Amino acid sequence: MTRSQRTAAFIASRLASVVLTIAGATLLLFLMVRLVPGDFTSVMLGPRATPELRAQITHDMGLDRSMVEQLWLFASRAATGNFGEDVVSHRPILDIVLDVIPNTLALAFSALALALVVGIPIGVIAALKPGSWLDSGLALLSISFITTPTLVVSVILFLIFAIGLHWLPVAGAGNPGDIMDRLRHLILPSVALALGWVGYISRLVRAALLDTLAELHVRTLRAYGVSEYRIVGLYALKLALVPVVSILGIGLGDLIGSSVVVEIIFARSGIGSLIFNSIAQRNYPVVQACVVFIVAFYIVANLVVDMINALLDPRIAVGRG
Amino acid sequence: MRMKLDRRTFLAGSSALAILPYIGFARAADRTNPIIALDADIGNLDPGNRVGTTEGNIIRSVCQTLVRFEPGKTSWTNDAAKEIKQISDTEFDFELNPGQMFTGGFGEMTADDVKYSFDRYINGDKSGKKLAYADDMEALKSVEVTGKYTGKLILKHPSAALWLIGICDASGAILSKKAVEQLGDKIATTLIGSGPMVLKEWRPKEQFVLAANPDYKGPYKAHFEEITGKIIPEHKTSFLSYQAKELDFTAFDADQLDTAKGLPDTKVIDIPGIDYTWIGINVEKGDLADIKVRQAIRWAIDVDAIIQGAYSGATSRAKTLLAPGLLGNWADAPLYTRDVAKAQALLAETGKTGLTFTFTCLNDATSLAVAQIAQANLAEVGITLTINAMDSGAYWALGADDASKDLELTLIPYTSKFDPSFQTQWFLASQIGLWNWQRWNSPEFDKLHQEGLETLDKAKREAIYINMQKLLDESASCIWITHGRNFFVDAAWLKPMFLPNGKDWQFEFFDKA
Repeated sequence: MTRSQRTAAFIASRLASVVLTIAGATLLLFLMVRLVPGDFTSVMLGPRATPELRAQITHDMGLDRSMVEQLWLFASRAATGNFGEDVVSHRPILDIVLDVIPNTLALAFSALALALVVGIPIGVIAALKPGSWLDSGLALLSISFITTPTLVVSVILFLIFAIGLHWLPVAGAGNPGDIMDRLRHLILPSVALALGWVGYISRLVRAALLDTLAELHVRTLRAYGVSEYRIVGLYALKLALVPVVSILGIGLGDLIGSSVVVEIIFARSGIGSLIFNSIAQRNYPVVQACVVFIVAFYIVANLVVDMINALLDPRIAVGRG
Repeated sequence: MRMKLDRRTFLAGSSALAILPYIGFARAADRTNPIIALDADIGNLDPGNRVGTTEGNIIRSVCQTLVRFEPGKTSWTNDAAKEIKQISDTEFDFELNPGQMFTGGFGEMTADDVKYSFDRYINGDKSGKKLAYADDMEALKSVEVTGKYTGKLILKHPSAALWLIGICDASGAILSKKAVEQLGDKIATTLIGSGPMVLKEWRPKEQFVLAANPDYKGPYKAHFEEITGKIIPEHKTSFLSYQAKELDFTAFDADQLDTAKGLPDTKVIDIPGIDYTWIGINVEKGDLADIKVRQAIRWAIDVDAIIQGAYSGATSRAKTLLAPGLLGNWADAPLYTRDVAKAQALLAETGKTGLTFTFTCLNDATSLAVAQIAQANLAEVGITLTINAMDSGAYWALGADDASKDLELTLIPYTSKFDPSFQTQWFLASQIGLWNWQRWNSPEFDKLHQEGLETLDKAKREAIYINMQKLLDESASCIWITHGRNFFVDAAWLKPMFLPNGKDWQFEFFDKA
């Protein structure tokens, strides 16, 4: 088998596992949300929810069918991108989810970019001076970032930069159509979300870089008189980034999960706050659609990461990595 | 393309980033149209199927009703109607103003539109489904069209409530028959009206914009060109946002009152609520079936301490169902000030010891604080309380399938309307298994409720509702906690307007101070 055939086989097997994982995760969550007590009509209408209305809305949501029927209906519709219609607003659920996804993706990707831009240099600096005061200080800083909950970071940033200094806005995602306003509204939530990952990435880069710098080929480079900065910049960092890239897929998933907290604190619309509110309202069809999107996104992100890793280190694609 | 990062590029980039936060701040000071916060998004704009106060407030400003609430009052004057003539207690003639145009090119409002709009409450929507707010028009039997602009409202029985909670409110919105038929299910997200404002834009989960309707022919022209409503579910966030001058008006929580009073260029608005929160006692459940046990619990729970501890002392305590200011408020209702000795004596009379009950409540901080204070109070008289805090989904599901039969003590927060019948309906025998979680059954109460619905004389109605509250008091099934209080901050240049409950906002009457 040639290298390109092996890579194609690798991609095909990963795609097959993607489909199976999305189906499995969706099935699990489909069953789990139905174990939660409570019904949509009572939450939405309170004492106005008469038995007649409750039965009517339960029927409209398809919740009076058997579990198997509900699952089949959901799966067959979801496969064609049709998640049905929201029982309150009568809007297609797909539209409701697509309305908020750009906000969440902007938040997650900007946080990830920030984490990389800040985390990698910190890790490199620490690895270049292992055991020094600078290394210890950066270790303390990184661990502080990791251990401080996003909730706390959000509130502190909020109080300092929005309330105290009035530099940045407090709530929302900004005026639609005004990119600068959207960007201003993105700064605090992104920083709040990124900070923990700055810590993770810097520690990971430091450890990986130290391992790489101790390898034989690096010792050979040193013996040839190549400067330490060239060794790190041109050779060692590329290899040290393999585990960082591996963790990015998980990182994106985690950032989307953590976005629930940030979106609620900063009153941003997004998939996190949509899921949170839909669970509170027991609006199962919307929860299910959101979950499908998140699972799909998470898996695709991991797939892309695997591809990048295969490019960075061909041993992975042939199953030797 | 290769990007070269030199010193100059770096400095330019850094400068751009540094000024980024300042862009746009000039707008806050220069605003001439208000930006306000709402804690809930639009759910469904069909007046009969709305789900919250946000839609109600928007519908009232976008649509016309036959008669409209006056600014800040529950009295009303003609809006779409040129004249309404009472023929008898159950028959009213109405005549519409000519030339009232629906937005979106849906033509002029006629009596047909009134009939169509109100018939939906009687017959259901196009597929016969009952509307969620159908009960607001319960007293309406039919609408007859007698001319292009004229018609008759025929009632099943005399009803004061029909006007107050039906025809004046969002349920009374007159829709365009042509628009509803053409839009189908889209009326849930598209509001076609003929009122003072139009819904210019709605970005779900983010904001909506109401704009003055240039074609509005009625007497209540909107004062602002636009009002932007930002959806911010948490009051604490919207309050901070107000402090950062991103908003001109928001509600806030009682524990922020001192901070609010210290804000510059700000008015603090404090409106006593008409809602009601109470501890309901299930009169059918075990030892609670003994009225003396219920009376002992009532004497043992320190409502004043609850007001101080759970509500930061920022609201006043309630002593009966109907809030002050509402028709039927029982001003002389007894105030049960904590008396441990009386509670212990009553328990001794029953001979019961080691009583243990479950206290069910929502899992928010205020409800939990109420539960903990009640728990401590009852422990002093030898009653053990186990707290069962539930999220709203599970909690409100107790109103279905007779789930309330297992409740014992429950903290219940209900919202009110201006007519007392709306509040008393939840205590009827027919609501046992649904929303009467006390499961208290009084044929006399039920009879009075029906009398109250059908009586028009104000003094007689008042007496009826006071008698109903006396019956509730005798049952010792309810420990009234508070009617709530609504706090708002608004920029000094803005003058918001609300109906007296503080919940129903009148966007069309928002004005410059």
